[in-house]
Order: sequence, then structure tokens, then C-alpha cells
Amino acid sequence: MKRLTISLRRQLFATPADGIISVGLLALLSWAGWGVLNWAINSAQWLVVRANAAALTIGRYPEAQEWRLWLLLGMLTSLAGLSWGRLRGASGWPLNDRIAAGLLLVLAVGVPPLLAFGPLNQIRVLFLLLILLLGRLAFSHRLSQALSKRFGDWWALIWGVAYVFGLWLIAGGLGLQAVRPSDWGGLLFTLLITSLTLLLALPLGVILALGRRSSLPLFRYISVGIIELIRGAPLITLLFLGQNLVGFLAPNGLAPDRVWRATGVLTVFAAAYLAEAIRGGLNAIPRGQFEAARSLGLSSVHTMALVVLPQALKVALPAMGGQCISLLQDTTLLSIIGLFDLLGIARSVLANPDWLGRYAEVYLLLAVLYWCSCAALSLGSRALEKRLASPGLQSIPKPQ
Amino acid sequence: MPVPWWRDNRKLGWLIQLVAGLFLLLAIALLLGNLERNLARAGLRLTLGWLNQPAGFDIAETLLPYRASDSYGRALLAGFVNTLRVVVSGLVLATALGVAVGAASFSGNPLLRSVTRVYVELVRNIPLLLQLVFWYFAVFLSLPSADQALQLPGMQLAKSGIYLFGADLVNGELVGGLRLSLELAALLTGLVIYSAAFIAEVVRGGIASVPLGQWEAAKSLGLKPLQILRLVVLPQALRVIVPGLNSQYISLAKNSSLAVAIGYPDLYAVAETTLNQTGRGIEVFLLLLVVYLMLDLVISVVMNAIDRLVRLQER
Amino acid sequence: MNATKQLMIEAKGVQKWYPNGFHALRGVDLEVNRGEKVVIMGPSGSGKSTFLRTFNALEDYQEGTVVVDGMELNNDLRNIDAVRKEVGMVFQQFNLFPHLSVLDNLLLAPIWVRKRNRAEVEQQALALLERVGIAEQAHKFPGQLSGGQQQRVAIARALCMEPRLMLFDEPTSSLDPEKVREVLDVMRQLAIDGMTMVVVTHEVGFAREVADRVVLMDEGRVVEIAPPDQFFNHPEHERSKRFLAQIL
Repeated sequence: MKRLTISLRRQLFATPADGIISVGLLALLSWAGWGVLNWAINSAQWLVVRANAAALTIGRYPEAQEWRLWLLLGMLTSLAGLSWGRLRGASGWPLNDRIAAGLLLVLAVGVPPLLAFGPLNQIRVLFLLLILLLGRLAFSHRLSQALSKRFGDWWALIWGVAYVFGLWLIAGGLGLQAVRPSDWGGLLFTLLITSLTLLLALPLGVILALGRRSSLPLFRYISVGIIELIRGAPLITLLFLGQNLVGFLAPNGLAPDRVWRATGVLTVFAAAYLAEAIRGGLNAIPRGQFEAARSLGLSSVHTMALVVLPQALKVALPAMGGQCISLLQDTTLLSIIGLFDLLGIARSVLANPDWLGRYAEVYLLLAVLYWCSCAALSLGSRALEKRLASPGLQSIPKPQ
Repeated sequence: MPVPWWRDNRKLGWLIQLVAGLFLLLAIALLLGNLERNLARAGLRLTLGWLNQPAGFDIAETLLPYRASDSYGRALLAGFVNTLRVVVSGLVLATALGVAVGAASFSGNPLLRSVTRVYVELVRNIPLLLQLVFWYFAVFLSLPSADQALQLPGMQLAKSGIYLFGADLVNGELVGGLRLSLELAALLTGLVIYSAAFIAEVVRGGIASVPLGQWEAAKSLGLKPLQILRLVVLPQALRVIVPGLNSQYISLAKNSSLAVAIGYPDLYAVAETTLNQTGRGIEVFLLLLVVYLMLDLVISVVMNAIDRLVRLQER
Repeated sequence: MNATKQLMIEAKGVQKWYPNGFHALRGVDLEVNRGEKVVIMGPSGSGKSTFLRTFNALEDYQEGTVVVDGMELNNDLRNIDAVRKEVGMVFQQFNLFPHLSVLDNLLLAPIWVRKRNRAEVEQQALALLERVGIAEQAHKFPGQLSGGQQQRVAIARALCMEPRLMLFDEPTSSLDPEKVREVLDVMRQLAIDGMTMVVVTHEVGFAREVADRVVLMDEGRVVEIAPPDQFFNHPEHERSKRFLAQIL
């Protein structure tokens, strides 16, 4: 302990200039920190959050149908737990995992009462945490290791099926009451739009990237044109276009629901940026890979699908992860065109005269939610990178 | 034996393009047909003549003199000037802050390094729009009235605006000096803080790309850290930094359009009002597209010129 | 694909210009019989690799004809695909697929091109890996192997398609000297087993031992074709003598 303080002191006050900076920063940080804490505990009114927790998380989803959301959440947490376990392998409980589990426990116990969850919901949250941890634990056991070896390749498919089933469950099927997309709101809406857009934009982005590198001039110019046009325009103008002008382009003014129009615009927008990231990955693959595949007799399609794209996507993964995070943040623009994503709901809550002036509380909560989601995406992307790196691959090319 | 066309390596490419091109033309013709019909039905033939009609709405603040009786064209121009105001000052301020933070991340002081790290990680993961509304609604709108204005070195902050370079209290109001509206101030603050974080990362990447040997050689020559940075490392780091800055600047220019969310009348905001009043969706959208694309082009051209300058000096 | 055809490769008057105008091949002729081993040598830039790569359509040509195992290589996609199935190629840079295991590298083409059953190809693949001496590495990834091991995997990968002709483009030029021997041993055994081989290489010892004929190329032309004894000891042309003086 003494050694720590001595080394800290030496580093922080190495030169007179350093000393001034350190003292100045410490003063500033403590003043700001104290001010925020003081405000948060004394003058802030958190009632606005408690009263609107439901709206903020799920929008206008009918209360009687909430059990469907809990069911979906349960499914997702169990899959997440199993994926977590699978990513870590049979290495027991490393420190990071233990810290994460502890943190989650604290959050699961402490946050629901703050948000005025009823006792039933508090128990549900705890139950979900249990499922998550059980899923994680399941992979330490040798039996599940064996199962994983056999069904490991089907993992992506399982997630895909779960996703589609979840969407269907929420929207209404199996004789369940339909809930219109315009009633989905808040955090639920934000997460759904982000994931749906991503899923649709990925194949489109691959197509655009391949088109941009094509030797056929028509496809190349069209791809370049689309990509540069979209990247040059502010997203808000494109969303604007989608909302107001699609009606002009469709026959007889027939146009799909506003939510789907916005999703379409976001998809094309994300695809253009993803295409650039994927193109970087494709450029990094040496020509020899193409030649070896072709000389073995593989067709162009097989070469792309089996040899080049798997490698290119791996190289492009960091850039694509960044695009994911950008996409999540871009969904906030939906609030400007009147859709009820998380920010949109927040602003409508603040417009309510009951909650006038409670901007700081609500926006701070939102900041925390978005920050956690983006940080989670960041961590997930990095974990995926490590998992997918082929062993012994030091020569993996870096994108230019 | 002549090769049948469907197996001919050379002809296949052109054939595919021909077929694809035909499909594309068909699709475009269809869409344009719909467009024509729908526009005709709404009584809105594509034209730019309406730009001369009186706008009939006010613009909260303009650098360009403007009245509600002026034309739509003039209104849009005023909006464009407002956009330029934000973009130019935003670029300058964000670059200054970003370079400072980026350089600071290499400081010997661990506290300073941590602070820059926290700043970047915090700002990058919170959506810009959220930061903008936070600054505007939660911070700037809750400033005290003019007679109890917040005093900071060189500026006074009050509900009526931000006053730089000296302003005096006259009859309970602040007059004189350079006044920034709350909207502009909030927009600038949010944009600058957000963009600076990304610029800092670009700068950091650029400095990190300079081999350690350069630092060591400079240090052994007796140069101080700040001198090393200025004379040895930054010039070399600029090679990597300038292209990165290009995309960040373009992002900033595009992000300025979020002004509409906090009531600053930039080009997009004025365009939206124009559209709501005239219903001329296609023309307005095309105008916006052209203007923003040209803005991007100008930034790219300037940055490419700087890029060439930075590289030439290497020779 | 007449099995009794003697001529494996028949190239006549092949001319190639690169898009930038460079005249890479200036009318080259070559005939390779079934079971023959031909070594092509020459200074860098002589067009020897380019010529080799016209045999499996990795390079196209503007004039002349190249007929491989009775199939003419022209614009006909069907011919190109058919030829590539029967011709195997080994590259200077190995070009193994880094995201697949060694075994999967071998299995990829037979499964997807020849539409064979995975289990049966696996048997064959493992036998091939045994033959080139790296059966234990079957489940490793290319990045975990040494250069010599990777090249041997590349040879096995090409052999897994059961080709009738094997092309080698400077197979040992990227290897450390100690690793060259292990790859040449594999190639030597392949020759003994009767494979038709065309090899572009600088390895004189290999040429002397294995080649039936040596072809010298320079500036896009064939300078001399002769059996190794004659070529290395009593070359006819001035340029051959100059070349040999440089490398011997």
C-alpha cells in the first residue's frame, strides 16, 4: 500500500507542470463529483423515472400482454447465458466472470425497487438472472462440452430461430392478440429496430461491397453511386425522404407503415457504411486466395462464399462492430420524425406538464442505458473477434 | 468451334450487365411513372419557381438579414448561412479540443491520461442527439436570468444567451459583446464535445503510428516533451491523421443537421418548415442532398490538398 | 477426356500482352506428354510463370492455342472449369486457406466441386497427408505449421482432386533452405509415381534428377528445350550458356 502511494505520488508530481495539472484535475474532479452526487441525492426528483418506467421500456405495449415480453426475455437470457458459457469454454470461473456475475446480482437486486417494480416483477428479474447464470454454469460441465461439440455449428441458427420466434411472439401469432408495431416503444423498440436493421443490412452491405469491387462497370458505378450518395447525406434528410416521399413513389400513394419505412431507410443507410467496412476486409485478402480456390476448380460463387468472405468478414469485424454501435446511436434520430424509440418516449414524457423541467434526471437515465448498451456491444464484438480468430494466425492481414 | 454465348467468358459479363441494366431501367421507369402521376394529382409539378414566393415564416436567428416577407429562396439561404456558422466554428473548436485531448493521452501524468480515456469512452458511447438535448434542455435552459448571469472568465451565461468579450448590464438586460443564442451555444457545445472525442482518437492513432525510435532519438538530443511533439512527432503523425480528420469533419458537417431537434434554424430545419408549407418534397430533398454533398466535397477537396502538402514536405 | 491420349499439354504460338502493353509471351510452343516431367527455368521476368499459368486458365492469352488433355482453353467457361478440375497447382506462397483446418483445406474442393461424400473423401485426404508426411497435423490450422509443412499440405490439397497434371510455380522459392529438401522429396516421389508434372523452379539438382526435359525461357520466348544432361552440360544457345553461368 505504501509503495503504491509512493509510486503514484512520483508519477503525478514528476515535474512542476505535472504537479499543477494533477492538483488542478483532482480539484476539478472532486468539485464536479461532489456536485453531481449532491444533486442526485438531494435535489433531483427521481419520481419521473419510477412513474414512467413502463413507458420508457416498452412504450404502449398493452399491459395484459406483458407476459409475452417476459417470456421472450427469459428465452433470450437463457440463450445469452449458454452463449456466454460457450464463449468462455470450460475454464471454470475466471475473475472477470465472477466480477460480472456479482455486478449483475447487485443490479438485479437493487434496480427494480428503484424503478418501483412490483414484488412479482422483482422476483421475475431475479429469476432471469438465475437463468443467465445457470446457462453460464452449464458449460463448465463436461456433458455440455460434448453436446456443444456436436451442435456447435448450429449455434447461429439457434439464435436466428429464437430471434424470429421472438419477433413473432411480440407481434402476435399462435392465436395471440396482435400488437401493432406503432405500439412498440421505448427500449424495446430501440433494441428491436437496431437488431432487425442490422440483420437486413448485413447481406445488403455484402452485395454492395462485392458490387463496388466488381469488374463489370455497370455494377461498380451503381454501387459506388449508392454508397457515396448515402454516405454524403445526413441521416435525418434520408429519414425525412423515407417518411414523406415514399408515398410519391409508390403506386396510388400506397405506403407501408411509418415504422417499416424508417426501418427501410435505416437498413439502406447502415448497409452503405457496412459495405465500406466489408470492402476493407475484402481488400485485405491476398489475390493468392482467389487463385488457389479457382485453380482447385471452385466456381466464383463457391470461392466467395467458402474462402474469401469468411476471411474478409473476420478482418472487417472490428469496423463492423463500430457500425453496430453507430446504428444503435442513430436510432435516436427516429424521435425527430415522431417515432417512439427510447429518446422519443423520453421527450414525450418530458412534454407532459406533470414532469416539466425534469430533463436532467430522464436524460441521465437514458445516457446510462445507451452507454451500457454500446459498451456491451463493444465488449461482445471484441469477444467475438477473439473467438473467431483462427489459431496460430499471426499473418491475418490488416485492413488498409 | 464457336463458343455458345452462355458459356463465353468474354461475352457473359456484357450480357449480365445488359440484362441487369434493362431491369434497372424498367424499375426506374415504373417509379418515375408513379411519381409523375402522384405529383400531378397533388398539383405539384416539379419546378423551382416556388422559391421566389414569400416564405411567410420567421427565422429565430440569422446572420443574413431576413424578414418573413422574403422569399423561400432567401429563407433557405439564411438557413445555409446558419449551417456554415456552426460547421466552421465547430470544426475549429473541435479540432483544437481533439488535438489537445489526443496529445494529452500520451502525457506522463497518469491522472491526465485516465481523464482523457474516460472522456473519450464516455462521449463515444452516448448518442449525439441525446447529448445535444441534454445540453440544451438540462443545462442551457436552466441558466439564471440576465441580472444573475453566471460569470466565467471572458463570458457571461444567462437565459437570454451567452455573451462573449464583455457585455454590460443595462436595465436588467445584457447588451453588447458577442452574443450566442442558447440554441447555437448548446449545438456548438454538444457537437464540439462529441466530435472532439473522435478527433482525439484519430490524433492518438496518428501519434501512435510514429515509431518509438523517433521519441527516443529526440529525447536523447535533449528536446523537451512538448518540443518533441511539436517538432518531431506531430509532423509525421499528420500523414495518418489528415485522412482520418477528413471523415470526422464530414461527420460533423452532417451532424449539424441535428440542430432541428433543439430549435436552431440551420439549413435542414428551414427546409423542413419550407416542406411543411409548400409540400414540395422532391425539390426540397434534392436541394438538401445537393448542398450537403457539395459541403462534403469542399471539405474533402481541402483535406486532400492538406494531405498532399503534408506528404510533399516529407520529400 | 480420352484416356489413351498421349499429349497432355499442347501449346502453339501463344502470345500474351498485359493491359499495360507489356508483351509477356511472344509466341511460345510446348508439348508435354502424359507422364512426362518438364522443368521450366529462366531469369525473372522471362514469362515462365505466366506461361505455366495459362495451362489452368489463371492467365488468358490473346493469340495461339493451349490444349490441355484434349480440351482447348479459350473463352468457353465449360472448358475452363473442366480443365481446372483435372489440373492441380502448387503456388510459391502456398495459399492455404487460413480459416480452415488442414484437413478441411483438402476436403473443400472434392466436396463442393466433385460433389463427393465427406466421409469417403476424408479417408482419401488422410491417406494423402500420410503420403506427404504430415498426418498428425490434420486438425491443425495453416498458421500453426512451418513453411515446409504448409507447402506439403498444399501439394496434398491439389492431389486430393485426383488431377491428371500437376503444375508447380516456384514451389520452394519462399522456403527456408532447410525446408526445401522435404518439399522436393515429396515432389520427387510424386514423379516416381507417374504424375505428369510441369515445374517452374530454380532448383538445378531437382531438374537434373527428375526432369525428362528442361525448358529455358527468356523475354517471353522459349530459348532451348533439351533433356537435363544435354541442357546442363552441353547447352546449344548462347543465352542458355549465359543463364547457366549465372546459376551454376
